[in-house]
Amino acid sequence: MYRCQNLLRSVVTLATFCMVAPAFSQDEVPAKVQVFPQAVSLTTQLDQQSLIVQAIYANGITRDVTAAAEFALADENFARLEEHTLYPKADGQTELSISFAGQVLKVPVEVKQAGEDRPISFRLDMMPIFMKSGCNTGSCHGAARGRDGFRLSLFGFDPDGDHYRLTRELPDRRINLAIPENCLLTEKVVGDVPHTGGMRFDRNSPMYTTMLRWLKAGAPNDTGEIAKIISVDLYPHGAVLDGEGSNQQLNVLATYSDGTTRDITSLSVFMSSNGNSATVEEDGIVTAHARGEAFLMARYETYTVGARFIVLPKGLKYDDPKTPEFNYVDTFINDKLRKLRIVPSEICTDEEYLRRIYLDVAGVLPTPEEYSRFMTSTEPNRRELLVDELLGRKEFVEMWVMKWAELLQIRTTNQISYKSMLRYYNWLQERIANNVTMDVMVQELLGASGGTFANAATNYYQNETNTLKVSENIAQVFMGMRIQCTQCHNHPFDRWTMDDYYSFAAFFAQIGRKGSEDPREVIIFNSGSGEVRHLVGNRVMAPKFLGGEAPDTAGKDRRVLLANWLASPDNPYFARNLANIVWAHFMGKGIIDPVDDVRVSNPAVNEELLSELAKRFTDYDYDFKKLVRDICLSRTYQLSTQTNETNDKDTTNFSRASLRRIRAEILYDVISQVTDTKNKFQGLPLGARAVQIANGNTSTYFLTTFGRAKRGTVCSCEVKMEPNLSQALHMINGDTVNSKVQSGQLVPNLLNAGNTARQEAATAQTTAQQAQTTAVDNLAKVKLALDDAKTKLAAAEKALTDLTSATQEGDEDAAKQKQDAEQAVAAAKQVVTDQTALLATAETEKTKADELLTVAVAKVVAAAELGNADAIIEELYVRCLSRKPLEKEVAAFRTILEENKDQQQQVLEDIFWSLLNSREFIFNH
Amino acid sequence: MFTNHRIPTRLLAILTLLAVSVPAWSASPSLGVINPRGVQRGVESELNFSGGRLADAQEILFYSPGFEVVTLEAAAGNVKVMLRVLDTCRLGQHVAQVRTASGVSEYRTFYVGPYASTAEVEPNSDFKQPQQVELNVTVTGVVQNEDVDYYSVTLKKGQRISAEVEGMRLGTALFDPYVAILNAKRFEMSSADDSPLIKQDALASTIADEDGTFIVEVRESAYGGNGNCRYRLHIGTFPRPTGVYPAGGKKGEMIDVKFLGDPTGPLARSFQLPSEDREEYGLEAAEGDAVAPSPNPFRLFDHGNAFEAEPNDEIAAATPVELPLAFNGIIEKPGDIDCFKFAAKKGQSFEVECYARRLRSGLDSVMNVYYADGRGIAGNDDSRGPDSYFRFNVPEDGEYVIRVTDHLGNGAEDFVYRVELTAPKQTVSVSIPRVARYSQYRQWIVVPRGNRFATLMTVGRGNFGGDVVLDPKDLPEGVTLHNNIMPGNMNIMPVILEAAADAPIGGGLITFHTRHADESQNISGGYNNVGDFIRGGPGQSVYWTVTVKKIPVIVADEVPFHLEIVQPNVPIVRDGTMQLKVVARKKEGWDEAISVQLPFRPPGISGSSSINIPKGQTEALYPLSANGGAQIKDWIIYVLGSSEFNGAAWVSSQPTTLAIAERYIGADIGRAAVEHGQETEIVATLTHSKEFEGTATAQLLGLPAGATTVESMEFTKDTTELIFPIKTTVETRPGTHKNIFLRIVYTENGEPVTHSRIGGTELRVDKPIPPKKDAPPKPAPVAKAPEPKKPEEPMKVRLTRLQQLRLDAKKKAEAEAGGGAEE
Repeated sequence: MYRCQNLLRSVVTLATFCMVAPAFSQDEVPAKVQVFPQAVSLTTQLDQQSLIVQAIYANGITRDVTAAAEFALADENFARLEEHTLYPKADGQTELSISFAGQVLKVPVEVKQAGEDRPISFRLDMMPIFMKSGCNTGSCHGAARGRDGFRLSLFGFDPDGDHYRLTRELPDRRINLAIPENCLLTEKVVGDVPHTGGMRFDRNSPMYTTMLRWLKAGAPNDTGEIAKIISVDLYPHGAVLDGEGSNQQLNVLATYSDGTTRDITSLSVFMSSNGNSATVEEDGIVTAHARGEAFLMARYETYTVGARFIVLPKGLKYDDPKTPEFNYVDTFINDKLRKLRIVPSEICTDEEYLRRIYLDVAGVLPTPEEYSRFMTSTEPNRRELLVDELLGRKEFVEMWVMKWAELLQIRTTNQISYKSMLRYYNWLQERIANNVTMDVMVQELLGASGGTFANAATNYYQNETNTLKVSENIAQVFMGMRIQCTQCHNHPFDRWTMDDYYSFAAFFAQIGRKGSEDPREVIIFNSGSGEVRHLVGNRVMAPKFLGGEAPDTAGKDRRVLLANWLASPDNPYFARNLANIVWAHFMGKGIIDPVDDVRVSNPAVNEELLSELAKRFTDYDYDFKKLVRDICLSRTYQLSTQTNETNDKDTTNFSRASLRRIRAEILYDVISQVTDTKNKFQGLPLGARAVQIANGNTSTYFLTTFGRAKRGTVCSCEVKMEPNLSQALHMINGDTVNSKVQSGQLVPNLLNAGNTARQEAATAQTTAQQAQTTAVDNLAKVKLALDDAKTKLAAAEKALTDLTSATQEGDEDAAKQKQDAEQAVAAAKQVVTDQTALLATAETEKTKADELLTVAVAKVVAAAELGNADAIIEELYVRCLSRKPLEKEVAAFRTILEENKDQQQQVLEDIFWSLLNSREFIFNH
Repeated sequence: MFTNHRIPTRLLAILTLLAVSVPAWSASPSLGVINPRGVQRGVESELNFSGGRLADAQEILFYSPGFEVVTLEAAAGNVKVMLRVLDTCRLGQHVAQVRTASGVSEYRTFYVGPYASTAEVEPNSDFKQPQQVELNVTVTGVVQNEDVDYYSVTLKKGQRISAEVEGMRLGTALFDPYVAILNAKRFEMSSADDSPLIKQDALASTIADEDGTFIVEVRESAYGGNGNCRYRLHIGTFPRPTGVYPAGGKKGEMIDVKFLGDPTGPLARSFQLPSEDREEYGLEAAEGDAVAPSPNPFRLFDHGNAFEAEPNDEIAAATPVELPLAFNGIIEKPGDIDCFKFAAKKGQSFEVECYARRLRSGLDSVMNVYYADGRGIAGNDDSRGPDSYFRFNVPEDGEYVIRVTDHLGNGAEDFVYRVELTAPKQTVSVSIPRVARYSQYRQWIVVPRGNRFATLMTVGRGNFGGDVVLDPKDLPEGVTLHNNIMPGNMNIMPVILEAAADAPIGGGLITFHTRHADESQNISGGYNNVGDFIRGGPGQSVYWTVTVKKIPVIVADEVPFHLEIVQPNVPIVRDGTMQLKVVARKKEGWDEAISVQLPFRPPGISGSSSINIPKGQTEALYPLSANGGAQIKDWIIYVLGSSEFNGAAWVSSQPTTLAIAERYIGADIGRAAVEHGQETEIVATLTHSKEFEGTATAQLLGLPAGATTVESMEFTKDTTELIFPIKTTVETRPGTHKNIFLRIVYTENGEPVTHSRIGGTELRVDKPIPPKKDAPPKPAPVAKAPEPKKPEEPMKVRLTRLQQLRLDAKKKAEAEAGGGAEE
């Protein structure tokens, strides 16, 4: 099988080489040409160094132009050039010129000890062979019990042990110093005798030659100081490959503590993080496949180094959309998207933003009042104002208390009583509520001494009492690193070695624990003694920061030293890790994902952004509220979930908002919120929110089903965010949604509210109507009376006129009558005046009555709106989905309501239920 | 003198009447709880002792002075007592138990406080609607699950308000209270969950910053609670210091002390110290009529005090002090270290005790001793709970420094401690091992009239060895003690007490004086018992215990049976068994079953946990066995029997001697092998270690199924070898069968002396070797000896197992060689 694969690979390699030359047009002029490595140093006669040349074009595309470039040595007396590999000839210095597309690059070449042969070294020469040929992997001889009777240390963590097993076990069979070609080691590896692992390499390979050389030298172990690798570089540092089939040779260079370098390309193990987009062969040739991104890695000894490769469709047309940038977050995101030729989605609507920001920042849904306040706001910066408002709410604090409680595993255990747990939780809550910066909080936590009641932070060391596990947890929570592997062997995909592991664990070797007067309380203190010993060789390991220096711990509390380093800018991982955790909360995915699996082989998808977030977080004095503000106000956070054709497959680069199922506690809380129901949890008053539950062990069926963390481990995977069938069934059939819809009585209350309002409005209208009618009647009567009075006045005046004439004629009676008539006229005038006044009053009253009636009618109309099904549906939509229903949705519901006129409540409750069961409700979008 | 504190009641006549009305036979009572959980000092209050079988209650036994029972009314489940608490009674926890005509109950606690009590009235769980109470009052309440109780008081600006709660200390439920004093705006002015002075209980104290209403909040510290979570909450203007300095003084002297930790600042007071030791001695902090509800613990010492003088943080700056004064100091701020320098002579030896937490100081001491030049000698953190202790043997004449600090580097104004250096003291104490887990059951002595009672007693010897005499000088009238010398190599033994038929019913608490057998040694002590009151998680951790230094010894009503052990006339031998005969004498008209146990088993003796003398019978056999290492000696044993009278009544047998003797015989039993279905012999070579007359019988036991031998063989003192013929069948399972031994019974003084397990060997049962393939049937190897048997042949020389195996091999080889030659 192996042979076939190998053959196949060779064919593929050959084919790809054939393809390299014509893969691009020679006419194009690259913007830049670079060569790797940029200096060559050859030491001893067997040394060699290959070079690669990469061209970068204006549009960002890179090409491997090694084969097309011209190589020329200034002085061929010192070195020999074969293809693009240099070999030593004689001691001295010269220069290699590389020209391509008119650009010339100079590489200084230095040759030392050209006449000397470097003695064979078990560590430097043999151990890499076991790694490269896969002998010491976990599936072969690297397994804990070895394989087929032969064991090698996994990935070579124990060279002395390997030497012992090779040379001392099965003497004369495993190795044969008399006839080196005739022993299990050499015969099995080339497949001359049956070997479960098949042939690993052939007799002509350099690895076989090295092996033989070692055996002929007497299979020596190394003595004295052996040069250690201080760095491994992978070239090129990145590439943008143009279309399927494009290639790029990788080159790996090791630098040793004695100042020498070594071309380890042929001895490195190559891996690709995404074989779908780019694959890499054993010899380091990368081949592009489907559009996407791949992180290509080379592993040598304990080092893993990587480079990010982007694969684009051949000849992709791309116009930079010049996406606006709201803040620095967008700058880095858009830079990356540009490289990937992805256009980000549009910005989301106000309604979407409102719901999203409420759920993410406060863990609640906006109330209908909050909804209308925001939607009617005309402030241009209303989103910013909203973020600031929400950051000031206590729900924001509670959310992060919950998240930290998961990281700190706050729960009752055999070691931690309910009282201890509650005190631990209150300690955390107090810190976060008082905006104690993260560095101070972590320093207080990890350096804590005292009773678990008196200083509740010490409960951290009761959660886990095993020294090694404590150090693993701390690395995972505060640095995002899973160093568990390195307890038994060097990390296969990261830089951490067993030395690092035990040196880090040594910080926790002196935790003293003693009982207190209360049997539930334990006193944690610095015992000042105790060491951690290395698994191999039982050496006492001095404390050394993970990836940092070894501090002087004499006479000091090691944990305090560690805490002060860990939560400080000296520790490059702390701020990055917390920034990433915060990012992941708001974006649904970490820049490194999962957030607690930071390793070389799981690189950040946007290193520049992560670095910047970490830097800002440090500059903000670890006040994560400011970081939250930056993220929430970025355009990236505000993107819509709607995709476009360039980003529909992108799930890693934040080119669109991701659909996220709402996490268990918040979902439970918002269901309770929208249904107006209350929950009772241990230690909390009726109506408290699930987010506030202190104890990881307090749960409900709902919370468990939706993946609430039990806080048994520090793993970020404890919170289950994946939707599953039992969740769906519980939503549909379980006793949460339906019973809450029923017990909350929201629909009947809304219906009743409408009915009551309608009744009141109707009564008011009737009264107003009656009043108006009375006013109209009254007006008519007054008008009549006035008319009558006017008539009477006219008659009286007429009579007076007549009498005046008669009087002038000397009629005495008439004179007397005239007096009467004058009185009558005056009386009639008075009546008219009075009636006129009355008319004015009546008219005013009528106007008033008209107005009142109008108001009453308006109320009736409003009440009709208030209590009717449409209004209730709208209320339910706003409550659940923070949006108004679409016309077609309303129309559909109307039909059902029409068909079931006598079951309005039932139908409306069904609508409510279906809203709660909609994906739009369960997901944050 | 039974006890100083037994108070005769006024209603003895009524009681006697009541006693007449109870059933003829009854058992010891039980006491569950005393309610209310506390009373006020200086007044008469009603106390209810609730439990079972209390109808014949006659007396309340108090472990401390200061109480007078005014009236006592007994009913089956409750004894109602009108109790007068004298003004001289100390504040705090007191212990009492009920004595009835038929026995005595467990002891339980109640509290004496300075204030009148008032009951909690729910609802008081809303901060806005607290229960209004007077100042200087004791509220008795209950915290239900997640219950919070609020009480309001009215204060003038500048007045002190203190609150102290008794919760865990009441010893009834695992209830860890929390107390806070809040102002009307809900601002927390003082709060506490646990206070070193009173362990899990809490105290708070502050000064009113304005005229107005203040609220005292009580709840369970983790919002738990249930109906058993009772508390007594003292609210008032009393001082509530958390420490006293110095925390000890010379007996009989006047002493000036400062109470520390009160919100008004240190309170200087003077006290006349008693001239003799007092249990639970403490100083009461008072201001006018207001007195702190619980005293601050205080050491009574034989010598005076020396005080630290700051700065003394360095060994070089140690405060010079002189022995035998006690060193007093305060770790007054975080990081504080106190050093004392003193001179000592080579050969002196000191018990160096740091008293801090034992005096309820917050200090978790670490104590070291150095040469004056700073070289370390010894040190300790936690040997006495959180307190420190070590023995210091002075290496040379010179000056030494004792250094005290807090384990976690903490410090506070009330972190008071004292270091006492005393010569190692020889002490002795006696106690009764528990018979039931977590229970006080039978931790008392109740002797029925005209009968016996027995118990095991253990002795704790401190810094000496040798015989100890149990010398209770104040046993009740008519009670005698058997077997009162604890040999030097033992620390547990049976103690049997007998009450005369006319001994008056009564008795009380005695110290059970115990001393070194040599009185001139002047080593004496008394009874000590620790009762578990509250246990809880994790595991069955102890939260509250009550230690008493007296034991009730009671003469009770007679019970209707007596027990006797029939004195065996033969010893029980090592690897032997014995059937101990127990005879019950039942009173006419009474015939119930009696359960009998053997509480004291000499080392190496075992037997079933109990046997039964059934109804209708008067005797039973108690099977005992001795192992090979049983200690050879004449031991005093007893059996203890009980019968049910709505609760068990206990009666002991007379003390009886059980002799343990060496085996009379030894046997070397040879190993044997046989093909199944064949016969063989097992030969036992006897070694007599005792002359005996007549015959003894031996049985070979442990043969596998299908193998048989003779029923038994008789032998005499001259027999040196027993040969057991063994028959096997094809059913006998092949393999090596171990555990084959002899059971040998002698008869002596008409009683059997049974050796149940002598010797030990194995029998190998083989399958016959199948005939060789293609080989003609061979004659049996034995067929090689065709000579006729000589009937008068003298006894054959028996081959050892090894010789036999060699012979077998040789024969087999010869047979095969012979067969081969034939081919």
